[in-house]
Amino acid sequence: MIQVWLRNFLFFKKTFLVSLFWTVFEPLMYLAAFGFGFGRYVPPIEGLPFIDFYFPGLLCSTAMMVCYFESTYPNYTKLTHQKTFQTMLLTPLSAQQILLGEIFWSATKGMIGALGVMLVSIMFGLFSLKFIFILPVLFLISLIFAAFGLMVVSIAKNYDSFVFSTSGFIIPLSLISGTYFSLKDMPQLIQWLAYAFPLSHGVQLVRHILHGQTDIVFDGIHLLVLICYATGLIFFANKLFQRKMIN
Amino acid sequence: MSITLSAVNLKKNYNDVAAVRGINLEIKQGECFGILGPNGAGKSTLLKMIYGQAIPTSGDLFVLGLNTRDQMTEIKARIGVVPQDDGLDTDFSALENLKLFATYFNMEKNSAEARAEHLLHEMKLADHQHMHVEALSGGMKRRLVIARSLLHEPQMLILDEPTTGLDPQARLWIWNYFEKLKVQKKTIIITTHYMEEAEKLCDRIAIVDQGVVLDVGTGPELIKKYIGTEVIELEVEDQKNYWTSKIKNLDIEFQEFESKLFVFFASIDQRQNFLQHIQNAHYLIRAANLNDVFLKVAGYQIRGEA
Ligand SMILES: Nc1ncnc2c1ncn2[C@@H]1O[C@H](COP(=O)(O)OP(=O)(O)OP(=O)(O)O)[C@@H](O)[C@H]1O
Ligand SMILES: [Mg+2]
Repeated sequence: MIQVWLRNFLFFKKTFLVSLFWTVFEPLMYLAAFGFGFGRYVPPIEGLPFIDFYFPGLLCSTAMMVCYFESTYPNYTKLTHQKTFQTMLLTPLSAQQILLGEIFWSATKGMIGALGVMLVSIMFGLFSLKFIFILPVLFLISLIFAAFGLMVVSIAKNYDSFVFSTSGFIIPLSLISGTYFSLKDMPQLIQWLAYAFPLSHGVQLVRHILHGQTDIVFDGIHLLVLICYATGLIFFANKLFQRKMIN
Repeated sequence: MSITLSAVNLKKNYNDVAAVRGINLEIKQGECFGILGPNGAGKSTLLKMIYGQAIPTSGDLFVLGLNTRDQMTEIKARIGVVPQDDGLDTDFSALENLKLFATYFNMEKNSAEARAEHLLHEMKLADHQHMHVEALSGGMKRRLVIARSLLHEPQMLILDEPTTGLDPQARLWIWNYFEKLKVQKKTIIITTHYMEEAEKLCDRIAIVDQGVVLDVGTGPELIKKYIGTEVIELEVEDQKNYWTSKIKNLDIEFQEFESKLFVFFASIDQRQNFLQHIQNAHYLIRAANLNDVFLKVAGYQIRGEA
């Protein structure tokens, strides 16, 4: 499994600087435009200035986006054009080891993305030592969306399949999960919808930890939902990937 | 000699396509075994079951004394595979490809590197080892894939069309290399569309079509059994009926193909005798070969699927 992770790391090292530039530049744009710019015209939400309210959402959705994209397009190329996975399977590596290696790699990239956001946050005076405590939450989010990405890879018919999962699921999720607005003020239906999916739980959890508003029961539930999603999706991704690779 | 591979009533269906429909085979230790068959015959499917990328629908398959059903990891550690698609990692150079592949085998770093460099040298790729694989020619890529298959010093090699698309020089060179592997007593299973390749390399040859083995034997055995010693290619044009009835009367085996007749002779005497009956026709006399066998056994028609 580690070999699969390492292969990606070696490739990442080759394009390190370019990757790093985007990793930092993207959150910089978002924080500047939404947090700093747009946020000045917005009254406090849930008692927090907009930029403080928005920042946990940005952290979580960045982790989600980065690892979702890392786990989809490159892996679909490895599956179809490059046949990298088929080559790995010629060795004692099993399909499950390949899948787990890829999930952990994508999650690693998700974490790098989140770290980029944290780095940029220094410029906006948002840096906090509490970041240590949210790392596990961000890692769980990364695992969830890496596994989701690989599920889509395993059933995709062509590259267009990812347009559906991106525009139809990932983007809407990044908008409704309590990232830009408080879910408390939303109609019940929207709240249910948002809490049916994992991102909102991650956002709530991170927001509570960063602003010292943790609640054992509610945040315990949020954490449990994330853990369940991660285990469940990795389980299904494994089934689908196995079926795709060895038939 | 011990048996290295045995397939017992092996079948493979893909949804509603029966790719392999009951194959029985025994391949001996140290043997070079060729598999010939038209496009879509099921050659790659058979090989994929051996190296674990296809699961048999039914039947049994033992490789190196291990069961493919539940000992695939052990099998994969001991076989080297050249798949029909190269599957080279295009994000890396030739040398890096080998080094990465060695990590998948958990090979020790220094010995893997030494082995990779040795093989690149053997495959005449040393000057290109730092090139991106995308930039390599088809022949170089194929040689790199062969080097990759040998990295972990496998006991047995599975080669799916290793020389397809190569120029005659490259092919000759690779044949020569395989001869050397045969001397090392490595068991080799090879599929090919080049009859010359099979005749030259293989101790025994199986002809498969539509997922079944039509016959197995050594090259000379098969040629003798199906064709004889010599073939006359007779140009008959619009006089086909005349010639076919004439040859039938002489009780000689032949095959119609477009405007030609292929006439098969068991002995040189028989051919000499036949030549006395030929006037005013273009013909060519040549030795019988595996190509004749293949066409006769698998049929002369082109396959719609490829
Ligand atoms: N993954 C698959 N899914 C569905 N059908 C398949 C699959 N792989 C092979 N087939 C079908 O199984 C049959 C045998 O294919 P196979 O690739 O084994 O043939 P082959 O003898 O290797 O042919 P070629 O000489 O063209 O390489 C074909 O009809 C093919 O379409
Ligand atoms: Mg094939």
